[in-house]
Amino acid sequence: MPETTQFGNIEEFGGSDGTLKANTILMARYKVLGQLGGGGQGAVYQARDLNFPDAKRLVAIKEMHYASGDPAMRAQSLAAFQREANILATLSHPAIPKIFDFFDQNNRAYLVMEFINGSDLELLLNKTKELPIDKILEWAVDLCDVLDYLHKTEPEPIIFRDVKPANIMIDNHGKVRLIDFGIAKIFVSGVKNTMIGTEGYSAPEQYKGDVNPLSDIYSLGATLHHIITRKDPRLEPPFSFNERPLVNYNTKVPPSLQAVLDKALAMNPADRYQSCAEMKEAFLAVRYRASATPSSGNPSATRAMSSPGTSFFEGAEFDTIKGKMEPRWSFKSEDEIRASPTAMNNLAYVGSYDTNMWAVSLEDGSFRWKYATSGGIASSPFADKNTGLIFFGSEDMNFYALNATTGKIVWSHTTAGRIRSAPTVAHESVFFGSDDGRIYALAASNGRQLWEYDMGAPIRLKPYITDDLVIVGSESGELIGLELSGNRKWNYRLRRAITSSPSVDVVEGVGYVGSSDGYLYAIDISNGYSMWRFRTGGPIISSVAIDGSLLLFGSADCNFYAINSENAKEKWRFTCEKPIVGSPVVHNGYVYFGGTNGVFYCLESKTGKEVWKFETQNAITAQPHIVDKIILVASMDHTLYALPLV
Amino acid sequence: MDLFRKMFGKTSEEASDKEATKPQKSVTPEASETVSPTDGHISDDEGIDPTTQPVSIPPSVSKAPLPKPINDYVTQQLASDMLSTTNSSFITFGQSSDVGLVRSNNQDATMSFFFTSTTADERPDFGVFIVADGMGGHHDGEKASALTAKTITQHMIQNVYLPILTGIDDVPPIAEMMVAAVQKANSEIIKHVPEGGTTVTAVSVLGDLAYIAHVGDSRAYLITKDNLEQITRDHSLVQRLIELDQITQDEVHDHPQKNVLYRALGQNDSVEVDISTRRLPHNSRLLICSDGLWGLVSEKDLFEIAMNNQDPQQACEKLVALASSNGGTDNITVVLLKIS
Repeated sequence: MPETTQFGNIEEFGGSDGTLKANTILMARYKVLGQLGGGGQGAVYQARDLNFPDAKRLVAIKEMHYASGDPAMRAQSLAAFQREANILATLSHPAIPKIFDFFDQNNRAYLVMEFINGSDLELLLNKTKELPIDKILEWAVDLCDVLDYLHKTEPEPIIFRDVKPANIMIDNHGKVRLIDFGIAKIFVSGVKNTMIGTEGYSAPEQYKGDVNPLSDIYSLGATLHHIITRKDPRLEPPFSFNERPLVNYNTKVPPSLQAVLDKALAMNPADRYQSCAEMKEAFLAVRYRASATPSSGNPSATRAMSSPGTSFFEGAEFDTIKGKMEPRWSFKSEDEIRASPTAMNNLAYVGSYDTNMWAVSLEDGSFRWKYATSGGIASSPFADKNTGLIFFGSEDMNFYALNATTGKIVWSHTTAGRIRSAPTVAHESVFFGSDDGRIYALAASNGRQLWEYDMGAPIRLKPYITDDLVIVGSESGELIGLELSGNRKWNYRLRRAITSSPSVDVVEGVGYVGSSDGYLYAIDISNGYSMWRFRTGGPIISSVAIDGSLLLFGSADCNFYAINSENAKEKWRFTCEKPIVGSPVVHNGYVYFGGTNGVFYCLESKTGKEVWKFETQNAITAQPHIVDKIILVASMDHTLYALPLV
Repeated sequence: MDLFRKMFGKTSEEASDKEATKPQKSVTPEASETVSPTDGHISDDEGIDPTTQPVSIPPSVSKAPLPKPINDYVTQQLASDMLSTTNSSFITFGQSSDVGLVRSNNQDATMSFFFTSTTADERPDFGVFIVADGMGGHHDGEKASALTAKTITQHMIQNVYLPILTGIDDVPPIAEMMVAAVQKANSEIIKHVPEGGTTVTAVSVLGDLAYIAHVGDSRAYLITKDNLEQITRDHSLVQRLIELDQITQDEVHDHPQKNVLYRALGQNDSVEVDISTRRLPHNSRLLICSDGLWGLVSEKDLFEIAMNNQDPQQACEKLVALASSNGGTDNITVVLLKIS
């Protein structure tokens, strides 16, 4: 109903918009000083009680219009109002404003209440950058208290129905006060009311006209979620709180608080706290735990998976603490290992900055052969079953093909720059880049050069080869798609270096590549145009692992990301204390990667939940390699570890 | 009422011509006579001192994950099946919009732009197709939807189409441009039609890839030989309640909040835009429509009329006529892309 019909013949009494003018005196007692706000059903005024001439006693007066002009309806509304006012007047709780008086005059009803000097939470949210969590918890406890009091009112519980930041005042003493009982309808079980509440904060059952004390629990959860995350639920899809974990918006939130809000915000009322008293206990527990010292709050059991430091290097025998990730074997080279290991025919291969390509037994890590180059090896080897060769480059500018079984050189190819790019073998050819700015295509069997393509800037990634394209990026930020003949099909220019190796979803025809500009790019590999990009806070050196519609990769901003390839939205992230530059591998629903903090992680791919971790003694920059129930992990602590795949 | 109608298409000769220029699948051996090791030149002043290397970010990058670690060739066979087909597809489309039988004015807007060429430059096909369903009195609804269609088309032509035509090598990410275009439309409405609002479902096509930007309860469907898939999600309260198992599909029709959208253009200074991408397979249809169509025509009829009419314009007109004969309670708008 249009609001103008609510104001009948009242022009002589108030302003043209129907509100009371300042200095209007009601009931010969209350002198209106000004308007405080316009509530859902009428205005709220600040007034002075003239019964106390010597003291400036301030009151708030809520004005309610009768919705109907029909006298019978009016009488009914007045009766309802009086009944409600009588109940409110009997309430006695520190968080509920006192009701002093009520009356009706000039076809309107008035409720005279305690004036609260303070600010409502919505205003407070707008005026502040961050509210302290302990203060929010204190309010939460007090709000549970007052709602519990209302819900236990006899003979019928009072349901507030519209808990939201705008209806919660924080007074000058920092205490919460519930305001605007205008819609706090007396609960009559079994009767369905039309939806009253505020979209975004209201519980799902309220949309069906169903309301009960558990709806207030939901709305309190929604309100607290809003003030902690500062994401206004009125601007988000309804009932989408679980898509906005608290910690994503406020790192100071204790994890147990998330659990409390999750329960309060359950879709099904039966899954929520069954009383505000119960919810209050939960908030008190969060408060108690949060006030305990952080170190004592961390049970040592959660660290059981991590390795106990230097004991790994004391000998071949490792401690066997129950539950600890235990390497099957480890092999120590003479310098840092930065490049990824690989394996073939029961041998594991890894290149080291000690200039050697090492081959060790996959069974027990025992030494089989090494091949010394004249430079550090930062190029991950490629083991090719068809030729039985191991391919890799060295910083001595040479590209090598070794017999995988014996380690004897079969052929080599010299470029004009250091080779840090890892090779890919496909179509009986081997493709790699060099710091001389060229991408090379050689015949895999004999090293005969098929073609080279000059990109003009060092190439340090591993080319991706599809059925008809070679996809490569350079340190100057150019990404190209070459036909297998070496002719350019397309190119795409980024502002910063591409060190991340391209990954391709061959079914969708989409390539994914990270850049030093902090973005992950999705490229349509049929024409080289960029589809979308996803921003992280640091350079992306890690390449992308594809698990169905999930893209998994690390960033130098210390986060490991899982994003949905269909809409480029973040699904989860896992935060480490150091940058993540090593590429991940996905296997059977788990994702494996190492961080420059030296820790190797196994997470649940769908959720990001940590399953186990393994600590090495230096940064991990390599991609793990999974073969025969073994995960090969190379660390800059010089060591290649073989972890059991569990 | 048909606003305008365009149809484009490559001939089959052109398509097969393009097929012939596809890259050879084997490496050409001619370019192979240049094996020239730079004799003895192994290391120089760039010398190999591992201790001086930076620690945090290594010069090398680990290998990219392969879809199948065992055998590269297996996965690449699959790729050839999928990718070799993409060059030869071509698109025709139809478009129709009608006031319906109950409303006095048409608050829907639809706009289509499509480019195709056959030149040595090999520019991909490009298109923008928009359906917007306006809301608000005093003609504000149709002003908002018209402004939205114009703003998005203009933004995409300026920021994507013209750069592609020019041939620059850093065309911005298309999805990002679509989102920016819709957000720009939102600001334009706030500025020029403050009392109006609109839904929008906008599709940009580049090559055989469709980018779908969406706010509100207009819809896009991808229809293939034996499947009709709704690729947008209605931003309506009832849809949200259905998704969360709070109400059933049957309860929607008499739900008190059945017309409540929780997201639309012109409501807030900022708007979150749903964006997704889809490859358009051969012999498929992409259908974009307002709720005046999907509310009155069953999915079965949508599927049959879209697939069984060779001429997409004719299909659009039949769909609008069916919605009218089913009640025509709202404005009816449809765009149909036929991918051959």
